[in-house]
Amino acid sequence: MAHAGFMQADTDADRIRWHVLRVMLVVLILVPGLGSASAIAQPYDLLLKGGQVIDPKNGMNGPMDLAITGERIARVATDIPASEAVTVIDASGLYVAPGLIDPHAHVFFGSDPGKSFAGGTGSVAPDAFSFRSGVTTVVDAGDAGWRNFPEFKRRVIDESETRVLAFLNIFGDGLTSGSGRYQMDDINIDKIRAMIQAHPDLIVGMRVGHFLGESWRPVESALQAARGTGRPLLLECHLPGLPLSGLLERIRPGDIVTHAFGEVSDRTPILDENGQLRPYVREAREKGILFDVGPGGGSFHFSQAIPALRQGLWPDTFGTDLHRYSMNGPMKNMLNILSTYLNLGMSLEDVIAGGTWKAARAIQRSDLGHLDEGTVADVVVLARRTGEYGYVDSGGTRISGDEKLEAALTLRAGRVVWDQNGLAATPREDEE
Amino acid sequence: MRKKSGSAWRSILKRVFLVLVTGGLLLSVSAAYAQPYDLLLDGGHLIDPKNGIDEPMDVAIAGDSIAEIAPQISPGSAGRIIDVSGLYVTPGIIDMHTHVFHGTDPDAYIADAHVSVAPDGFTFRSGVTTVVDAGSAGWKNFRTLKAQTIDRADTRVLAFLNIVGVGMVGRYEEQNVADMNPEMTALMINELFPDILVGIKSAHYWGDFTQVERAVEAGNRAGVPVMVDFGEHDPPLSLETLLMDKLRPGDIFTHTYSYTRGREAVVDEEFNVKPYVFKAQERGVLFDVGHGGGSLIWHQVIPSMEQQFWPDVISSDLHTASMNGGMKNMANLMSKFLNMEMPLAEVILRSTWTPARVIGREDLGHLGRGAGADVAVFRLKEGDFGFLDARGRTMRGSRKLEAELTLRDGRVVWDLNGRAAPSWEEEPRRY
Repeated sequence: MAHAGFMQADTDADRIRWHVLRVMLVVLILVPGLGSASAIAQPYDLLLKGGQVIDPKNGMNGPMDLAITGERIARVATDIPASEAVTVIDASGLYVAPGLIDPHAHVFFGSDPGKSFAGGTGSVAPDAFSFRSGVTTVVDAGDAGWRNFPEFKRRVIDESETRVLAFLNIFGDGLTSGSGRYQMDDINIDKIRAMIQAHPDLIVGMRVGHFLGESWRPVESALQAARGTGRPLLLECHLPGLPLSGLLERIRPGDIVTHAFGEVSDRTPILDENGQLRPYVREAREKGILFDVGPGGGSFHFSQAIPALRQGLWPDTFGTDLHRYSMNGPMKNMLNILSTYLNLGMSLEDVIAGGTWKAARAIQRSDLGHLDEGTVADVVVLARRTGEYGYVDSGGTRISGDEKLEAALTLRAGRVVWDQNGLAATPREDEE
Repeated sequence: MRKKSGSAWRSILKRVFLVLVTGGLLLSVSAAYAQPYDLLLDGGHLIDPKNGIDEPMDVAIAGDSIAEIAPQISPGSAGRIIDVSGLYVTPGIIDMHTHVFHGTDPDAYIADAHVSVAPDGFTFRSGVTTVVDAGSAGWKNFRTLKAQTIDRADTRVLAFLNIVGVGMVGRYEEQNVADMNPEMTALMINELFPDILVGIKSAHYWGDFTQVERAVEAGNRAGVPVMVDFGEHDPPLSLETLLMDKLRPGDIFTHTYSYTRGREAVVDEEFNVKPYVFKAQERGVLFDVGHGGGSLIWHQVIPSMEQQFWPDVISSDLHTASMNGGMKNMANLMSKFLNMEMPLAEVILRSTWTPARVIGREDLGHLGRGAGADVAVFRLKEGDFGFLDARGRTMRGSRKLEAELTLRDGRVVWDLNGRAAPSWEEEPRRY
């Protein structure tokens, strides 16, 4: 090193920082008139170099470098010089995409066994599942209602590194019981509206789920609350007590049906007896109702999903329905669902679109799910592995596949939160 | 004697014939469908260190137990066959150092609080079937750990009881010598929960040797080992005194390869393993990895491995601050040792049979006939992998273990690629 005696530096990062400081010093001394220009010339903190950037919002799918300063995306361009960044990560052979958005998860975790999903052990801690599968934002699917949302916020949203947003349950206590026996008088539109107004950046919509009754009141009340606050409704595609046709008639473009490809006894699936998409399902799709996967523990069947996609009904978003009873089953994690559809013939660009920008639009968060300059740097670096893989549905049946997506690196607001193989790390001391 | 009429004889013969035919049919049917085994792991390479097996071997399971181990078991003898050719079959992994007392106490950190994790989200996906909680709870709050975690987990959860009555509520509470009660700790282990509590934990104490001494006293009363997380002393207390004088053979020193202020390292400034460390291992003190968020440092473990100072037990120290860092999970951690030239059978030994013996649970950690069917099936991937230590340094490696299939008591609890599942086209459509 030319200036070995000048300063003692013990890591590559430190060396580069000192180098950058020296360069800036020279610039400041020699070109005092360029004060503002030298501010622009400040180095990037992190550079993902040589990867294939897929950013569906911007129609981008090609070799591109991505630079990050602080918490934000600073630049996406070809050939950003390595010398302009403190840390350079070699992303060659890998895909760089916006951090994934899971629009259907259950993360109001707690230790109260009597409370299933709302503060109970049915829900899971988001950070334990998100980053390792490339997810940077999860949307809780109605674990909390207006009454316990503040507790959910305090215990989970505020304490998690993952960005946690929420659909608010139509019932005040949220998903406190798995039985679906809710008190109809626990629907209070005024309280719901007040809670959404108090947390407009966290509550993205309304949710009806796990409802076994035959009354339309929860759905209609949720629609009323959603309409009044300009937000979508997330609801189960197949409620046992309510006909699918009536459900799809009532909801609006932009509302989301989840568990769309389930085949559960006593519930109407999207295919008819001859394996054809029901006409009103087709119409719902055409009018702009969104179809979310949400496999969970029992709501995704190849016998529905494969004929549906052959007839053109691809999923819009790839919610996981992550919870205690799906985490170790066929669902596993969001990348496993994306990989399933990749092997069913969807393009990588399309599965990434469903996992990022389409999900962001569905929850009306256009600040997320893309790589615009200035956007918060939630980024995933994906490896596309080839080999012999298998993917399983809720009925325990399998398709084989030859591709699998793996999260090599996940960044949340510019910070490395998952690094599968030490891409962002320095070599061990004796190998420097 | 009356002579039977011809028709009567015919009728009797008919009946005898019928009985014979029916019986014969039943016998042959039951013979054809006699499947003594429920599940057959077919064509794998079995590593069962306790039984000295490291070779191709089929494994048959009946109910929740291992029924047969043999080079060739007839596929016809099992109700269900899972092809595990090209894969390694091992006893379910035992992770001897975890923190699973998850809960919602906003004033606590590990005991009934957010730093602990729910085990099932981490175990089966990395081949683990048993975790041992390392002293998150003491005798005063162990029942809460049992109710919230142990009784509700699919993973087998055992525990070291903290010598501090309230366990790991907070660093300050852990300094309370008045709450270190050997008698109550031993009573809890011996009288109340002998099947769950396997030892005593001493940790996070800034004072003299009092905490270790209390833990050992409790260990003597209860007849169980003590696990010590030593450090946080300013200046550091003598590691040699701890290892040679304070701990008994069978006691466990964890976070072996950490490098931190407040604790003497196991290697000196020239990266030579200190002689008393070898002596301590010879006298029967057990060295545990306890990777955690900060306790496996390449410049400590690599020289140690090269000088044949190997850990007795490979364990994760799983908690929220280690789950997304260099540790990740047991399969990743075991792979680190594989890439430091520890043979696979030795890696499996140190994560199955050795921890089972250390915690006095010789019913676990092996696959002998009659043993409980806790089984892991690993793929050994070849490629270019990187492994992070707790200081954010990488070591390159060419091999990595991935949990392909995990059985707990004979039940499939993890199936990465749907090996146990039929093709969707073979299933009849239900509509």
